[in-house]
Amino acid sequence: MRRLPSRTNVTFALLGAVLVLFIVGPIGRLLLMATPATLRASLTDPEFTASVTLTLATATAATLIGATFGIPLAYLLARRRFWGKRIVLGVIDLPVVIPHPVAGLALLLFLGRRSPVGSAFAELGLEFVSRTPGIVAAMLFVSAPILVSGAREAFYAIDPRLERVARTLGDSPWRAFRRVTLPLAGRGVVAAATLAWARSVSEFGAIVILTYNPKVASTYIFDRFTSHGLYAAIPAAVLLLLLALGVFALIRILQPAEAR
Amino acid sequence: MIRLEDVAARAGDFRLAGISLEIPAGGYGLVIGPTGAGKTTLLEAIAGHASLEAGRVFLRDRDVTQVKPEDRAVGFVYQRYHLFPHLSVEDNIRYGIASGPLDRIQQRHRVAELAEALGLTPLLRRGVGDLSGGESQRVALARALAPRPTILLLDEPFASLDPTTRHLLRRELLELHRRERVTTLQVTHDFQEALRLGDVVAVMAEGKIVQRGTPEEVFRYPNSAFVARFIGAANVIAGTVSRTVGGDVDGPRFAARFDSGPLTLEVIAEREGPLNAVIQPEDLVLSRAPQSGSARNRILATVTGLETVGPVTNVFLDAGHPLVAAITTVSAKAMGLARGEAVHVTLKATAVHLV
Repeated sequence: MRRLPSRTNVTFALLGAVLVLFIVGPIGRLLLMATPATLRASLTDPEFTASVTLTLATATAATLIGATFGIPLAYLLARRRFWGKRIVLGVIDLPVVIPHPVAGLALLLFLGRRSPVGSAFAELGLEFVSRTPGIVAAMLFVSAPILVSGAREAFYAIDPRLERVARTLGDSPWRAFRRVTLPLAGRGVVAAATLAWARSVSEFGAIVILTYNPKVASTYIFDRFTSHGLYAAIPAAVLLLLLALGVFALIRILQPAEAR
Repeated sequence: MIRLEDVAARAGDFRLAGISLEIPAGGYGLVIGPTGAGKTTLLEAIAGHASLEAGRVFLRDRDVTQVKPEDRAVGFVYQRYHLFPHLSVEDNIRYGIASGPLDRIQQRHRVAELAEALGLTPLLRRGVGDLSGGESQRVALARALAPRPTILLLDEPFASLDPTTRHLLRRELLELHRRERVTTLQVTHDFQEALRLGDVVAVMAEGKIVQRGTPEEVFRYPNSAFVARFIGAANVIAGTVSRTVGGDVDGPRFAARFDSGPLTLEVIAEREGPLNAVIQPEDLVLSRAPQSGSARNRILATVTGLETVGPVTNVFLDAGHPLVAAITTVSAKAMGLARGEAVHVTLKATAVHLV
């Protein structure tokens, strides 16, 4: 005969169910508010499609830049002991605790034309404020911790002795990384990059301060909500939600089974 | 040839200090010691994975202290195999020769040769995820040997295997060692392995080598109670040595008494004071009646237990101090030994090794 679940388990399950419903409820309600007709109308709205295209392109650019600088850093953080490692780890995680409008203000001060860095970039023809690179910068700032932490975990999970075996078999450190570590950590690194990409797509607070126009999808939805009201914003919001859910499913597929 | 000169190395919080050791070309050396003694760190220092704080490493008469691991031509097999999980058995074995001077046909030939020698031929196309422990260890061994290293470092290669597979692999390894003429250094915590395989044995404890010699020397003459206990000496007794008044003297050696509680033995000593007596179980001669002869020690003991291990029976005794004697099972049966019975124990003074 099957044993009845304990009172503790039942209590925990009920408490957990409240939170699960709190997450599922609003998402379900939003999805049910859209009709095929309104979704079709949004998909044919050039302003919306332009904002989605811009979102996808800038999120991809932010992820590629983050991966270029972040994956080597993640490897070092996973493998090496060095002076200041704890400080670097703290700095990398810093954007997670900074409110995103505050991050936007900080980026505005750092990359604006009046700052030495901003003016130096401007000399090179790269401006951030109210420009597409500003969106990429904001996305990179908020998504980098996710990419670096995820990639670091993926590298950390690979036994360093596999690399040592490869070295004794004649591989240089780079060759051992390319032939052993990267193929083994690859899924985890791609999952981290995809999560960072998704975080970029969902960013609003930092972008809206640095670059309100051109509009990314989140800014477009905010603009529709403040200018035309709740119902005008719903179709675009649902389409963005569906995109996010698709990326989420992809991440779950990419993640190693034990991490799910 | 492997030669270490006063090597000190650090790996994490663990430190090796003052390690000097030499394994002659084509020899088989064993480093034994308990878990945490620094055995793996020592192998990693030889392979170039742990950077040295002091000392020098010579391989094939060449100082490789500053040489990168990939240029040391060393084969390394870890205890947990560390096969590349994303590659097949064949690709694992081929890994170290895939980009060397061998063309693809020569590579295939080398892989086939090792697979044949280690019984891996039917497994070549398989992934490594579902191999048994013995199969995985064979693949790891074949992978390490494929580039024909002249030095092979083995980190407890049989520790995770069942006794039958361990016995079989040990034989195969000895055969490969002879055939490939690889200078081999193996670490283990099993002294029986050292007795069966090694030309040279070094005992490690807390990052230092505490004794080195041939397996027979270390087994017969452990230089400390730690080594004696570690190599499985059954009788290690703490006590005090005092010179016998009017006893014989031969250079530094003199006739003495060893006292440990109610147990007193006549011994040959080189110094007085607190020492440990190490007695091999095979040196204790048992009889039903008192024996005459040259042996200086005759003790009346009580049998407290018997343990038959095939042709040998261990007889546990109480002689004022617990002792273990090893006699043939045939003798044990002929004597009709049983628990609680009295037995006479004879022991030569020269069979008591003092450390």
